[in-house]
Amino acid sequence: MITPLDPAAPRIGAARYATLLTVAALIVLPWIESDKFVLHVLSLIAIASIVAMGLQVLLGYSGQLSIGQAAFYGIGAYTSALMTTKLGLPFPLALLGAGIAAAVASLLMVPITRLTGAYLAVATLGFSIIVYLFIKNEEWLTGGSYGFISIPRAALFGYVLRDPIYSYYLNVGVAAIVYLTFARIEGSRFGRAINAIRQDPDAARASGLRVTLLKSECFVIAAFVAGLAGSLYAHEVRYLAPNDFTFWKSIEILIMVVIGGVGSLAGAILGAAVVVGLPEFLRGIGDYRMLVFGAILIATMLFGEGGLAGICAILGRRLGGLLMRLAPKPAASNERVQ
Amino acid sequence: MGSLGVSQFVDLLVGGLAVGCVYSLVALGFAMIMRATSIIHFAQGELMMLGAMCGLTSLWLLPVLPLLLVVAVGMVSSGLIAVMMELLVYRTLRRRRVPIMNIITATVGMSILCINAARLIWGSEPLRFPELFAATAYEFAGVRISPQLFWIMVMAVAIMGALQLFLKFTRTGIAMQAVAQDPEAAQLMGANLTRMMAYTFAISGMMAGAAGIMLGSMFFAFFEMGFITGLKGFVAATLGGLGSIAGAMLGGILFGLIETFSTVFLSSAYKDAIGMILLIAILLVLPSGLVGLWQRRR
Repeated sequence: MITPLDPAAPRIGAARYATLLTVAALIVLPWIESDKFVLHVLSLIAIASIVAMGLQVLLGYSGQLSIGQAAFYGIGAYTSALMTTKLGLPFPLALLGAGIAAAVASLLMVPITRLTGAYLAVATLGFSIIVYLFIKNEEWLTGGSYGFISIPRAALFGYVLRDPIYSYYLNVGVAAIVYLTFARIEGSRFGRAINAIRQDPDAARASGLRVTLLKSECFVIAAFVAGLAGSLYAHEVRYLAPNDFTFWKSIEILIMVVIGGVGSLAGAILGAAVVVGLPEFLRGIGDYRMLVFGAILIATMLFGEGGLAGICAILGRRLGGLLMRLAPKPAASNERVQ
Repeated sequence: MGSLGVSQFVDLLVGGLAVGCVYSLVALGFAMIMRATSIIHFAQGELMMLGAMCGLTSLWLLPVLPLLLVVAVGMVSSGLIAVMMELLVYRTLRRRRVPIMNIITATVGMSILCINAARLIWGSEPLRFPELFAATAYEFAGVRISPQLFWIMVMAVAIMGALQLFLKFTRTGIAMQAVAQDPEAAQLMGANLTRMMAYTFAISGMMAGAAGIMLGSMFFAFFEMGFITGLKGFVAATLGGLGSIAGAMLGGILFGLIETFSTVFLSSAYKDAIGMILLIAILLVLPSGLVGLWQRRR
């Protein structure tokens, strides 16, 4: 008999239900809300959540603070745009190529992984600024400040995804794959190793973990998914400008992770939804939009530990407790038998 | 590019030093806050911007205001705003023992708040400062130096010197250093933690405010000026070795010189990138900044 006070037992079931419900909702949603703009924003949220989940692995799992993820995002976006326009390659290949290009670029960061904390942050910031300046100044390759125009829509198996519904499914689908993959990392040997590094790098090294290698692997993973997201972004928006990949973008990605809750994958998605969606939602108040956004950001930080994911967990637990108290006893025991 | 006259070289040197002094002042704020609270204070650049804006506003209200008073207005207003940030937000966050990443993100929120408030108050056009300095160049042993750059350097050095004296020789200054090193022990010795933290933020804000007036008078004042300068200040502070005050001063001046000279000799489009590449290289050799070198030698 499980006591109702034990939080773990009912939560596993609840989490599975929540995942199933979310997946169902995401599939059904375009039929309920078929407004093109809403679908576009949802696509952007899915894309942002991919980058955010990458940073979550880097920051939340392995404890490395990077404020340069926009660099890999930008490398992915421009690689994909170049591969489809200049080389005429199909989209799936460009998507993969974008991820690989970003991952290869992140190998440059390997020497940097021995830095920690604020020093690591500054070095990644520096890398981000270098990539931004490259995009802005190398007009022959990237179009410079004029931007990169006429990027084709994403196409799968020769079928162009013209309807926003299809590109929605593409973006959300890739985000879901990334989520499921990363969710498996957490409990794996690799996941436990990087968790150990986050908690105490010296102890991890003493226990025989190859700290630098593992840290670099996290960088490569985060960069790879950032590259994927960049590619999706390029074919969703179909116009790239250097200003999409400034240092500010890196900070936005960091905000997504922290606002959602450091260490929580679902939190990264929630954070992406807030950071991308909230300014759209606040469009009505015009000039005060970013003012309110800043205030909300500070206020969220006041709610301590887990960010939005933490708040949701607390609310969920309260709600669960309430339901359990309200529900008739036989029903509650029934649920547990299942 | 190869042939560079002495006077041009001196011009560049002075320009680089003056910009470097501004970076130093911003970096000092970063370093002091970093040392006391281990927060990367991303709103530091915005404190600088607000200092420039408030100083400019005081000039609009009283056009006869002398330079030193304008700087004082900038310093006091930025200092007050910094204290408000600390007392209203950061202190609460620390009391709730939220993870350091949350506090850092809150400083980003603060920065967004300041940028947009400034845009609403002062508009988004770059604002020009009235002439604050003599127009004719000073001559030292045949070398001409612009009065503006000269006074900026003098003021920055005076402010940084005063800060060093304050930290070394006053009770409050020593208490602040103690709190930064070991808050609990300092508290047991009778230092008031809350007050010392507020002072730390006040001084950091004042440094940023002074930098704002200087930078604003060299170029323009506008709502986004703090963002990139703030980053450069952060980079300079890291270059010096985060959390070290002398290192931050040195890092700022070095960064200003690197930036100015690389613009001329290498490429102006990539001037920020060159600074960053050098920064990364230095960090790889000296993972704890220039101060690391100093400490290793001792």
